[in-house]
Amino acid sequence: MVEQKSDTELLALFREPATKEKAFTEIVKKYQERLYWHIRRMLVDHEDSNDVMQNVFIRVWNALSGFREDAQLYTWLYRIATNECLTFIDQQKKKASVSLNELESGLSNKIMADRDFDASKLEWKLQLAIQQLPEKQRVVFMLRYYDEMPYDEMSKVLDTSAGALKASYHHAAKKIEDFILNH
Amino acid sequence: MKLMETSKEILTELLEIAPNLGKTAISRVPYAVPNGFFEGFAERLMNRIHMEAAVYSEPDIGQQNAEDSPLLEIEEIAPLLAGLKNINTYQVPAGYFESLEAKIPALESKPFTAETKQAPVFNLKFVKYAVAACIVALLGTSIFNLTYHKTTDPIKDLATVSDRDMANYLDSDDIHWAPGIANSSASIDFSENDVHDLLSTVSDDELEQYSATLPEEKRNVN
Repeated sequence: MVEQKSDTELLALFREPATKEKAFTEIVKKYQERLYWHIRRMLVDHEDSNDVMQNVFIRVWNALSGFREDAQLYTWLYRIATNECLTFIDQQKKKASVSLNELESGLSNKIMADRDFDASKLEWKLQLAIQQLPEKQRVVFMLRYYDEMPYDEMSKVLDTSAGALKASYHHAAKKIEDFILNH
Repeated sequence: MKLMETSKEILTELLEIAPNLGKTAISRVPYAVPNGFFEGFAERLMNRIHMEAAVYSEPDIGQQNAEDSPLLEIEEIAPLLAGLKNINTYQVPAGYFESLEAKIPALESKPFTAETKQAPVFNLKFVKYAVAACIVALLGTSIFNLTYHKTTDPIKDLATVSDRDMANYLDSDDIHWAPGIANSSASIDFSENDVHDLLSTVSDDELEQYSATLPEEKRNVN
């Protein structure tokens, strides 16, 4: 089994022209699944998620040489991914001229259109419940619940104070619980 | 280790907020991913990066080719027309182009030179301005003459003047008879016979009546 290099090592290799591509490929492999699921939970659709994830890593390729190591690489990657998702959602809204509520119901419809969708199963109810949340609460809940991100790291991703994030997560969890209990 | 602690903290936190969200039961995401998606993702991504780098490294050349080359342009718009471009349906008699030079003597004797004559722009302009100035002067003079120097027939004008007005005019003090001028004029324009002819239709009474109206000195003139 090949030992996975640390972010610091990968960044050092990335700065060397001879090992730049290899280092980048390793970074992609290291983070692709975590970022994919973060994006997928936001966008629901696989093709949309694939497009956005490619855009995320292309941005990373272009900007990684200027990345300062005072922040963690994965925090920086989540920040880019989250912004790309929100930009994508915004573009979809503009393209379809629909309101945020209509878009959320559209995402719910996508969930229910999934061939594996089972309304009796809690995990599917949870996905429907998440789509009922306001955009910001949805991101906070998913980063905390699925990615188990500490508040101080989340604070760097979302440019919001840890206290505000805590409150937001609290509201989100309560709403989701109510939704599951009532559906 | 830190991650494990965080995980426990998060679970504890969640159970405090929403006990019914049993994390262990529903934390699985139910979405499916196509088989092999993650295995080839990094390679597909690098291919895309290489392709985009190739496009962006020569953006001007690519754009220039499409815009400046008529062949590339028509290939993009209508590939069928691009293929037909070099098929010529018209026929030219054999040796036409070879004999073309001989058929045009001017081409044969006088090869083309870049030397050209310049048209006399200044002279042409000068002539134009001179003609225009003449026309303006002619029109101006004519208008001036018509306005300020009307030439009319004095005999006709006198016919419109009544005898009374004429008499008043002749009696007015504004007229200064100059005997010399009067005599010379008479001697030039009228002879004795002319005067006799003019007065032949006038009766003696009328002449005497007219003579009586004249001042003393004028009666002696004639």
